[in-house]
Amino acid sequence: MSAEADSTAHVATRVYKPPMGAGWWTRKRHYFLYMVREFTALPMALWLLWFLIEIQRAGGGVKTYRPGASTAFVIFSVICLLFALYHSVTFLSLAGVIIRIKALDRPVPPRAIVVTMFGLWLVASIVIGAVLIGFGR
Amino acid sequence: MTDKRITIRAARFDPEKDKAPHPQSYDIPFSDDSMVVLDALNYIKAHVDGSLSYRWSCRMGICGSCGMMVNGTPKLTCAAFLRDYWPGPVTVAPLTNFPIVRDLVVDMEDFMHKLKSVKPWIIRKQEMPLGAGEHHQTMDQIDDFRQFSQCINCMLCYAACPVYGLDNDFLGPAAIALARRYNLDSRDQGTKIRLPVLAQSDGVWECSFVGECSVVCPKGVDPAKAIQQTKLDTTLRFVLPYGNRE
Repeated sequence: MSAEADSTAHVATRVYKPPMGAGWWTRKRHYFLYMVREFTALPMALWLLWFLIEIQRAGGGVKTYRPGASTAFVIFSVICLLFALYHSVTFLSLAGVIIRIKALDRPVPPRAIVVTMFGLWLVASIVIGAVLIGFGR
Repeated sequence: MTDKRITIRAARFDPEKDKAPHPQSYDIPFSDDSMVVLDALNYIKAHVDGSLSYRWSCRMGICGSCGMMVNGTPKLTCAAFLRDYWPGPVTVAPLTNFPIVRDLVVDMEDFMHKLKSVKPWIIRKQEMPLGAGEHHQTMDQIDDFRQFSQCINCMLCYAACPVYGLDNDFLGPAAIALARRYNLDSRDQGTKIRLPVLAQSDGVWECSFVGECSVVCPKGVDPAKAIQQTKLDTTLRFVLPYGNRE
């Protein structure tokens, strides 16, 4: 977008349309953290793509499959795990703001919703982890 | 105390002469700690430079007219105390993300159009005759929408929203918060009428939850909450067989 004085049909006078620079997200800490949160989706998407390829490779059977275990890949996976945790924590922490549930005709407190969400996340992680370990054996 | 002075660096833009806004500094007396940025602007207009243009009205955070960027943050200038910016200088600019008409005055046309598009008033399928009495609401029913009814249309949330800055077609925080206010009102029956505007691509789904709109709101409204709740509502209405009920 370029800075320019322009004229509009409905207003007789010229107006100035201020440009929004590409570095807008560096102006405030809040904007920066938002961009970090959004960016975490990119390495997670790459890791999931790799995961799909590994599933295809594993289709040949347990005896022929050898999982990728290079140092670079382990480091990348750990970074992705940290990003996934950051993304998940920020998302689930906001669940109490977004979800409106009534119990016994009274609104459920946001904190109770957040605690429930984290609890479900923990249970789902344990179940999925158990299933994967079970298949691995 | 009366010897204290502070510099106000106000943005100036004359559409007849200037290609872009430029700052102009005014050194004014900082006579007492209760002075706000709006008092400083009024002093400049009355004693230093009568050509400075800006909007204001009530001076008590009710009318929402005096919203400007104070040191880069959207603020009601009637509630921005100079003591918080001491020793200055204090930079005052028009609200970002809006076309500038003159000096500190922005063009509100786009916001007014969007506000009207969500029909922020009570819609009834059939009006009850006056003789039938008033609509009764419990305190819990009022609590459902009370927060969102505090919006004063000051547009600070639009100035704080990078999504609106990047794409002016976005319906924006205040309009959605006010739509939510009426959708949650037990007296209202207009949710289905507002839904096409809210659920379109430039409506709630354009928001990527930056959350700064809720941070800058001077009335404690949480527009980000209204938008995310509306996303959930529109989704449930779409996927659940009974979701489209009134």
